[in-house]
Amino acid sequence: MEAKPSTANLVDKIVVPGDVVLDLSSMTNQTIKLGGGLRQECDSVSVIKAGKLRFSKPNKYWVESSQKRYVPCVEDTVLGIVVDCKADNFFVDIRGPTIAFLPVLAFEGGTRRNIPKFEIGSLLYVRVVKANPGMNPELSCTDASGKAAEFGLLKDGYMFETSTGLSRMLLSSPTCPVLEELGKQLSFEIAVGLNGRVWVNAESPSTVVLVSNAIMNSESLSAVQQKIMVDKLLQRIK
Amino acid sequence: MDTRLANTWRLTVNEKRFIETALSSGIRIDGRNPFEYRKLSIKFGREDGSSEVQLGQTHIMGFVTGQLVQPYRDRPNEGTLSIFTEFSPMADPSFETGRPSESAVELGRIVDRGLRESRAVDTESLCVLAGKLVWAIRIDLHILDNGGNLVDAANIAALASLLTFRRPECSLGGEDDLEVIVHPPEEREPLPLIIHHLPIAVTFGFFSSESLLVIDPTHHEEAVMVGKMTATLNANGDVCAIQKPGGEGVLQSVIMQCLRLASRMASDITKKIKDAVETYNTERALRKIKRHPTSITLDGSVNLKEKLNEPSGHNVVNELSRKHLEKPRLASAENASSPGNNGEGESKSSNFGRSSRRDGATSNFVGGAASW
Repeated sequence: MEAKPSTANLVDKIVVPGDVVLDLSSMTNQTIKLGGGLRQECDSVSVIKAGKLRFSKPNKYWVESSQKRYVPCVEDTVLGIVVDCKADNFFVDIRGPTIAFLPVLAFEGGTRRNIPKFEIGSLLYVRVVKANPGMNPELSCTDASGKAAEFGLLKDGYMFETSTGLSRMLLSSPTCPVLEELGKQLSFEIAVGLNGRVWVNAESPSTVVLVSNAIMNSESLSAVQQKIMVDKLLQRIK
Repeated sequence: MDTRLANTWRLTVNEKRFIETALSSGIRIDGRNPFEYRKLSIKFGREDGSSEVQLGQTHIMGFVTGQLVQPYRDRPNEGTLSIFTEFSPMADPSFETGRPSESAVELGRIVDRGLRESRAVDTESLCVLAGKLVWAIRIDLHILDNGGNLVDAANIAALASLLTFRRPECSLGGEDDLEVIVHPPEEREPLPLIIHHLPIAVTFGFFSSESLLVIDPTHHEEAVMVGKMTATLNANGDVCAIQKPGGEGVLQSVIMQCLRLASRMASDITKKIKDAVETYNTERALRKIKRHPTSITLDGSVNLKEKLNEPSGHNVVNELSRKHLEKPRLASAENASSPGNNGEGESKSSNFGRSSRRDGATSNFVGGAASW
């Protein structure tokens, strides 16, 4: 197995399982964070999922690919649906291969006395804390420091499901063209989960329907086409 | 158990409430009007009697096949019609292989009732030998993708396949005329079924608020609605069947309103089906035109003849013959006959005898010089 001399070659390029992207023996004293699709084997980091390799400063690497299935990954923010309530955990469906557990105390200021009550079918915005292959993932409604940070129950609005690639595009910065164009004319609230679920809320149902359809249609369009599509949709309403 | 729990599709409380509130202002989640159908596309396969229908996200394939069987004792002069449905697990996570679920049986029953009770397909013409041999027509419906409203789409698929199905021609022969000869398609052109009218199924969804009514519910709307009704009507305004499986009670005036709406939808959809079948038939006729290579003839002239089974008049035939003559794939340059040629040339057929319905000739072997 030869190690590639420089990793910059492969960033933003398509990689397939088996490619070695990092040689750790040449990078001592650095902490590198590996996201989805990468695995560390002793001194080298190799790819386990086909897609594009991405790098974000200072030290995050991951492989990006778009599909309808979601593979839970630590530190992902996702939208989950409550399936069942048990004594210790809520069972939450995050569209992965297994049901995830949300501990009853994983809320800001959560104690045994103020356990929240969610009805079956509620939509939650949560963070993945543990995601080991083969085990049920664990979630939390707080961020790393224990604050609520907008996690929790999402009220009203409408949720729809898309591919993981589209949800990443919606979360990218600078703001993706679809959201920017829609935001110029309409006011709405949106929560995007990396598992492909998107929640939209607005004052009137027609705005919600417009925004959802615009987002669903924008998957395979380029930036310019997205702008044109949104303009056409908005004109039809006026 | 865990995987099954993880793989089912769930409806959130938010969606349920939103769909209902949006409907009370007359908006549906895909932007349609409450009384509007999704985009319908009807495609046909290479074989006669196979159709593929897409109604929005719902995707269904229909196949029609025929077999000679013994008739039922109490109906010795009539052929039979049977419908089989297959709910493929790839269509929806809740579909499983094995025994058909209740909704699968219901779908088959609705389509069957619409065709059989209303006598849309003429079963008496399917009789070959009274009491001994009749045609048994079998319709197979495969659900490929469940985007909601499977009944309507399945009905359209069944009708489209029935309209394009062709059964082999049979004649009686042998001593005493008791032997049945089934002619292969190369020998005699297969015949279409006789279909008197097209029963179209239109499904309505009822919601918890009294006056909320939608046509052609999507998958999400189906999960939210509290009652549904399927009305099968034809373009003439006859009600062939109505199915309302339980659910919330509905006022009589609402039912009448639904029937009126359904008859309007039925004429639209009938027109779409007929147009699609028409295009298919013209294509099929074009495909049937034989092309012979140059080297066959003895006297150096190659002739063309079209085989057409369509009762559509001479205009179509001439049109097609002209188009055919202009095609670059013609065997030889000499074959590019003058435009004045109305395609009246005769052909030298190699094996089988053909009869052109147009001129009624039944001779096996027609040869001769072409009129250039």
